Amino acid sequence: VFAELTARRLLAPVGIALLSCVVAFALFTALGVGVGNGANAAGTAVHGAAPRAIGPLQAYSEADAKRNGAAGVGGAPPVTQLAPLPAAAFAGPIARYKRYSAGQLRIVLEHLAALEGALRTGRLARARTAWRGAYASWLHLGAVYGAFGDLTQAIDGSPGVLAGGVSDPRFTGLHRLERDLWRGAPAGEELSATRRLRGDVRLLLKRLPGVQITPLQYATRAHEILEDAARDLLSGTDVPWSDEGVLATAAGLRATREVIETLRSLLDGREGTIETVDFNLDRLASALASIRREHGGGWPAVDRLSLRENELLDGTLGAALEALDGVPGTLETKVPPTIPSLPNPSR
Amino acid sequence: MSPLDRRQFVGRSLALLGSGGVGALTGVELERSDHGESELAAGTLAERAEQRSLAAAVPFDAAHQAGILTPAPAQATFIALDAIAPDRQTLAEALRQLSTRARQLTAGGAYPLLEVDDPPADSGTLGPINAPDALTVTIAFGSSLFDGRYGLTDRRPRRLVEMPNFPNDALDPARSHGDVLVQICAGQRDTVVHTVRELARSVRGALQQRWSIDGFSSARRGPSPRNSPRNLFAFRDGTANPDVEDAALMDRLIWVQPRTTEPAWTAGGTYQVVRTIRMHVEFWDRVGLAEQEEMIGRRRDTGAPLGGSEEFEDPSYELDPQGRRIPLTAHIRLANPRTAQTADQRILRRGFNYDRGFDSAGQLDQGLVFAAFNQDVKRQFTAIQRRLAEEPMVDYITPVGGGYFFAAPGSRRPTDWVGSGLFV
Repeated sequence: VFAELTARRLLAPVGIALLSCVVAFALFTALGVGVGNGANAAGTAVHGAAPRAIGPLQAYSEADAKRNGAAGVGGAPPVTQLAPLPAAAFAGPIARYKRYSAGQLRIVLEHLAALEGALRTGRLARARTAWRGAYASWLHLGAVYGAFGDLTQAIDGSPGVLAGGVSDPRFTGLHRLERDLWRGAPAGEELSATRRLRGDVRLLLKRLPGVQITPLQYATRAHEILEDAARDLLSGTDVPWSDEGVLATAAGLRATREVIETLRSLLDGREGTIETVDFNLDRLASALASIRREHGGGWPAVDRLSLRENELLDGTLGAALEALDGVPGTLETKVPPTIPSLPNPSR
Repeated sequence: MSPLDRRQFVGRSLALLGSGGVGALTGVELERSDHGESELAAGTLAERAEQRSLAAAVPFDAAHQAGILTPAPAQATFIALDAIAPDRQTLAEALRQLSTRARQLTAGGAYPLLEVDDPPADSGTLGPINAPDALTVTIAFGSSLFDGRYGLTDRRPRRLVEMPNFPNDALDPARSHGDVLVQICAGQRDTVVHTVRELARSVRGALQQRWSIDGFSSARRGPSPRNSPRNLFAFRDGTANPDVEDAALMDRLIWVQPRTTEPAWTAGGTYQVVRTIRMHVEFWDRVGLAEQEEMIGRRRDTGAPLGGSEEFEDPSYELDPQGRRIPLTAHIRLANPRTAQTADQRILRRGFNYDRGFDSAGQLDQGLVFAAFNQDVKRQFTAIQRRLAEEPMVDYITPVGGGYFFAAPGSRRPTDWVGSGLFV
């Protein structure tokens, strides 16, 4: 949280006087950048989707700008008022998340079995539907892919990081199948890729209980699952063939909700973070629901979205992320250490 | 008829002016105002300052090309071109034209008037007299130029290869590589835009543009003019650059030396690395300040190494072997460990920020046109890049384009041209 309080004082907007009336709220709530549209109807003044406000600022002066060091205008950042949480408090949430993840992996396996069946009978539309189900269920895991080691690359890896790209023999898993199903592949290759993937998912299911996740990793995933959606999925970077960024964002939202639910009791009563998160995740959920309704009850490919739908989805996702970025700081398990000074500066 | 014949004519016409004569005209516009000197003198301070900076010229002909050690001005464009010339002679002629036109534009001055039923010799977007505006045009060659189409295989600089896909890269071929790279830098955007247009025209039919990226430098906002400008992660960039005034150091780190295993023509040139690095700035803005600073290894406000108070302070890694002050994975520590073993790996960075609006997912498309010069791309840039492969900052950046190029030695005299050594 100490970073939240310091990093928010960057710009010098003209309307400082106008802002000062909301400063009291703003300092204690990370307000998302909204896209207007009457969103406040659903929220209170505290967690509404209003533009993020910045506290009072010092006026520009050339002397300050030139002062040696120019270490900003306010001296040291404010000290956090929150007592750090004990690391042991995360054991329950992480155990609950692992049980949930095991359930999701079993659903992935069901979809992969359906995919194999569809491939055997040569039904492409059905195969794609099964792939969508498998991919969404995989994304429902959401948290801490890094903790899964090399299985993450085998199951969900992109070809870009491999020396041979799409023709690299290590290009396996969900995106290999995505490429095959949307671009076409020599007969038999999709089937063997599906079998290989089922094996890798089963292996992960076996390893899952032993996977180590630190409190910081876990709290950070609450924020970063949807960062991945914004950076890699809606842009099409990680789903270049199917363009299923909307489905992937919805799946990321579900995973984020799961992580947040396990952390709810820890977040309660700390800095108003949970209220802001709830409000903005609800708003993203209703944006997704309206898109789904508009497109006949399924997730459209990103390029099927209208300009307004794109704006609504990108904007509410961005606001959700602005809210979620408070979670890791709110759940700190240690006071940030003081950095030792460099000895012997020339001054 | 060669596709260049008509341009050759224009080029010859312009060449008649000679670069000395053209340069002499540069100051003329400032003094010879239709409204007389009094009105010019009455201009605001800001106007006069702008006029003065527009009059600054960087010579094109020198042992080393300009735009490498010369200070980076505010504006830049990097444009990569592919050779479509039908034969070796046309390629050589195009490269000669490129230098000829670049020499004229960097010197500034008036261009000849043609008959009124002819298209003008210059697009004219800077007015009837081009101000030099510290313009530099730096010409470099990609490995693909040496692939045999033009009989240049034995001229390939020994370390010149196609830039590999490093871990975490997402290089788009349509934004990467190319036969020729032209780096255009100047004080004002309109100067750069004009130069792109004029140079593209001068080689049309022989060199076709493949990709380009526009860059800008952050203003020098202090506290002193010496402080390095900031990149779009808000951190100062270029702090640890080697001293460009130290000629012996430049001979060790930047310039290819004569009588080495490199082809003779390359002496005085340098390897240029360009990487278009997307920075996920919204994501970055959602990261706590302490984490940002640990990823870089410096204070965001002052640019001082963590634990220090001044940008150019030595981070003294030897006193911090555990990384308690500056984490062992911090960018500055991996990029330049400041050890005797890594001293000859140092590179000269001369990058620019870029802003390309936003992408289809509504995310701002901002980042860094990383540009660096080094004597041996394998010994220097590649070694550094390998160390950086696992730095925590990789989550916040995606390299999407660029390439390895060889910036040829300079044109020695007005009748010479950059790349002439390829054809002798």
